[in-house]
Amino acid sequence: MTATAHKVKITYCAECGYESQTLDLARSLMLEFGQRLGSIELIPWEGGTFDVSVDGELVHSMSREGGFPEHEAVKRAVRARLS
Amino acid sequence: MKVDRARFDQGMTYDDFKAQMTRNRERVEENERRVDISPNDLAAFRGLPKPIHTLVLAEDWCGDVIANLPVLARLAQESGKLDVRVFLRDQNDDIMQGYLNQGQYKSIPVFVFFDGDFREIGHWIERPASVTALRAKRRAEIFRAHPEFGAPDGPVDQLPEDVRARLSTELQKVRDETTPFANAEVIREIRELVSRVAA
Repeated sequence: MTATAHKVKITYCAECGYESQTLDLARSLMLEFGQRLGSIELIPWEGGTFDVSVDGELVHSMSREGGFPEHEAVKRAVRARLS
Repeated sequence: MKVDRARFDQGMTYDDFKAQMTRNRERVEENERRVDISPNDLAAFRGLPKPIHTLVLAEDWCGDVIANLPVLARLAQESGKLDVRVFLRDQNDDIMQGYLNQGQYKSIPVFVFFDGDFREIGHWIERPASVTALRAKRRAEIFRAHPEFGAPDGPVDQLPEDVRARLSTELQKVRDETTPFANAEVIREIRELVSRVAA
């Protein structure tokens, strides 16, 4: 396990029903990084939100980028912090 | 995509749509109960010369569908003048492509109104602009009154959990308090559209 606990937070619009996309992304990160991630936090929210942050830095925002993130793009952001 | 009688008849009734919902049915039915139709509006819909075929594009995960489709449904139930058929957006992309919001977004719900010969009378997408504006104004007021909530477009995941919970409560309050206005605006806009058939 790394000394630094890297944190991923996924904020998703619960009223929009983005649970499946949220769980798919969380699962993908769990399988790729396992214990190298300190935590993956899922935050039910509103207003069409689907935001992903890694260690406090927003790496994807549905309102900014449009749509859901490519899993690989989020993984790249995580890898950059692990290395 | 030209919608004709045969295609229209492939749609679900409102009750069939509700029966196949995998989520949010309770919210839809609660919203149905909260719709208040004025006698004047009801008389206008009941006074339509002929029933209007009303095509709906929807999905059960969409907040605007959950909020606004029940308004249309109550108008249909109480006036007897809107013949509603619901199509799932993601299974009917050919229809969706004809009603993109601003020519690019697959916003729902979409209500398309046809006369007896399936000539389009008009269509309605997502929610009234007046509702979007009011909620944005109320949201801005909340953030001005509560500096602890940060910037209106700031990432909520940076907020402490207790602050986030308070913000969520405030935003829910805005939605609840603006619902009567939103429903009235939906009714007003639909009434304007369908009145064209009577003009």
